[in-house]
Amino acid sequence: MILQALYNYYRQKAADPESGIAPPGFEWKEIPFIIVIDMDGNFIALEDTRKGKTKRGETYLLPKSTGRSGSNSWMTSNLLWDHYGYVLGIPRGDDAKSNEMAKKQLLTFVQNVESLKEHLGKNDAVAAVALFYEKEEYKKVSSSDKWHECMKIIGCNMSFRIKDDAFLIPCSKSVRLYVESLDLNQSDEEGLGICLLTGLYGPIARIHGDTPINKDSKKIVSFQKNSGYDSYGKEQAYNAPISKIAEFAYTTALNGLLSRNSKNKVQIGDITIVFWAERQSELEQLFPSFFCFPKTDDSEVDARAVAALNDNACLSVTDGESERFCVLGLGPNAARISVRFWHESTDGEIAAAIRQHFEDIDIVRSTYDTGHYSVYWLLSAMATENKIDNIPSNMASQILRAIVTGEAYPLTMLHQTVLRIRAMRNVRRMQAGILKAYLNRSSRIHSFSEKEAISMSLDETNMRTGYLLGRLFAVLEKIQEQGVPGIHSTIRDHYYASASSTPSTVFPQLLKMKNYHLERIKVRGLRRKYENLLSEIMNRIQPDMPSGLVMEEQARFALGYYHQKSDFNKSLIIQ
Amino acid sequence: MEYFNKTFCLEVKGDFACFTRPEMKVERVSYDVITPSAARAVFESIFWKPAVRWRIRKIDVLRPVKWISVRRNELGVVMSNNGGIYIDDTDNQGGLKHRQQRASLLLRDVAYRLYADLEFIPPSDRTKGCNSLAAPSEEAWEKEMLRKDENPGKYYAMFERRARKGQCFNQPYLGCREFSCEFRYVEDLSKEPEPIDETRDLGFMLYDLDFKNPQNPSPAFFRAQMNSGIIDVPDWESEEVKK
Repeated sequence: MILQALYNYYRQKAADPESGIAPPGFEWKEIPFIIVIDMDGNFIALEDTRKGKTKRGETYLLPKSTGRSGSNSWMTSNLLWDHYGYVLGIPRGDDAKSNEMAKKQLLTFVQNVESLKEHLGKNDAVAAVALFYEKEEYKKVSSSDKWHECMKIIGCNMSFRIKDDAFLIPCSKSVRLYVESLDLNQSDEEGLGICLLTGLYGPIARIHGDTPINKDSKKIVSFQKNSGYDSYGKEQAYNAPISKIAEFAYTTALNGLLSRNSKNKVQIGDITIVFWAERQSELEQLFPSFFCFPKTDDSEVDARAVAALNDNACLSVTDGESERFCVLGLGPNAARISVRFWHESTDGEIAAAIRQHFEDIDIVRSTYDTGHYSVYWLLSAMATENKIDNIPSNMASQILRAIVTGEAYPLTMLHQTVLRIRAMRNVRRMQAGILKAYLNRSSRIHSFSEKEAISMSLDETNMRTGYLLGRLFAVLEKIQEQGVPGIHSTIRDHYYASASSTPSTVFPQLLKMKNYHLERIKVRGLRRKYENLLSEIMNRIQPDMPSGLVMEEQARFALGYYHQKSDFNKSLIIQ
Repeated sequence: MEYFNKTFCLEVKGDFACFTRPEMKVERVSYDVITPSAARAVFESIFWKPAVRWRIRKIDVLRPVKWISVRRNELGVVMSNNGGIYIDDTDNQGGLKHRQQRASLLLRDVAYRLYADLEFIPPSDRTKGCNSLAAPSEEAWEKEMLRKDENPGKYYAMFERRARKGQCFNQPYLGCREFSCEFRYVEDLSKEPEPIDETRDLGFMLYDLDFKNPQNPSPAFFRAQMNSGIIDVPDWESEEVKK
């Protein structure tokens, strides 16, 4: 499923020479600092490759990093690049233990360089690196003027370059040929088996490569030893036999999708979504705009994407020529990455589901209201202080799943929104949209008899008690505003929460107050108009006002209130 | 003795299921449908003896594949090989040592129709397990008579009786013990509902573990293909099963 799809994605990318995906044995890696040496191994300078405001280093196609973990991790180093513990023997911390560790790491690194030199011969640039260590030139690096900059990055990766050469030594042709000659199928560890991705017999990867989604969560496949994940005497990744080649392919594919400049990634709250189409698809370009936080220079991007989705004929569901489209939601859990959702479908079906979602949340809005629709705003409307980090965990992934698959929204979405509305004592457009979407969709999917359809704007035929009470509340507030113009706090500020949850305790009082407010309205026609409206609504409410409203009715209350209120400002709304 | 393998059919359904993928066994992610090994366990929970072996033939998927993501508290320790555990053990900071919160991607609202052959193993082919039966009596006539009455038909009838009544040794479950399922013995297929109308390649799927070498059992995989909701499970001995 997931790994299989990633494996296929890698193969499809590898077949396309323009995709720029790393070939077997290599990896794109950011190198912020480069040690410049001459052919005699003398230290020339320390070079800073970081540019721009974000201070990110250049990325290079380097020999793939090798997985290392545990107490013997110092025994493995990368080829001609690594962090300063390996390259210079400078420890990360001050204590004796990390000092000891750095010494061992340096030894491993130098041994690696030596053996590579023997393989490539004396005239190569690699020989210069070996000389660099022989002459103990590496000790000079820490006295370089740029060194304190480098130390600021913990575990900063570094590599080598010959003076006047444009490329790094690990990128040189001879090193590249050497890496290519190493067969991924060669295995010095025992562990052969059937790969569960390819079905072929071969060496199995003991630990899998990192595919970090944040600084703490690194691996999607990992098994701790002696922690209940060993089965049938098999430890670590031997539990799940994946061949080294398949492991390389899926990690490279996922790292490509997750990379900083990837166009196939969206981050919402703690969830990282990656998506890809089997072949080119228009949806792939539009997809991030539906979810993202709008960029400052282009705030209309989500609204435009929604429009494009509706106009694009290619994305309507057609038989035959549709492309497979995969959406993968990843979330952090301790040091591991957990799969929050996974959906594989055709681009047409996914486009239809997303279109349906935007249709569901669409509701009347005022002309002042920016037409933002992206899921970022939707989640922010449910969060305390509108901060997306404040939404309950797992809810974001459930909502995203509902959007992509067209399934029912989670019930927590309704609860959270109603609670937010009660706390804020106001209904905003996005919140009203969420409630409408939830109620409409759940009745479409779950209810058997009466299908409820809440309309975009005021529905005078809606007979639900919650909806009517919401309308009533809006009318009472309007009367107060008209009667006492310029009032600072209205009945909404004082009574919204209790009116929407326990109407029978509040409404009698409110109706009594209404009489005073009505008297103060000087224009007779206006007074008559409100009185008519009130009686029209009151007549439909059952004689016994309910003492409590359940969550769904409270949602209808909010919708009735929002609809009625926007109906008062008819001149200001966009239908 | 001439005999044939009889095919039995069970319908199982449950609210949740998790046929954990081996590579996602920590933060669990389920396979899309029931695996042959999980299906075998369902049959075995109703009837099993050293004299028989279950072979899954076919799986009908009766409900569309639906997912749910749940966080659960699991244990990061195994019971075996360390003389038992106390699950509420605390470490020196007072935290619970073995409990871990992990995310799982489960299947929701599943139903399958499982077809399996009940294979009779002649007494001579049976491997002696650690739970072999009481030692045969020394008397010659008894030795001769022992197991003479064995006949596959007897086991077929036993299963049929048990399944029809809803008897089981342990409650059958769908992948994980916590997702117990209901089962029903299917006798007349003509009255049963059609499987879902979906055709899909499900990729490589765990078939079962190969216990030929008990010291190091290795997993076997096969390429699962769903054709109009029907998954044909290849023969254990066939080429399609990668062991």
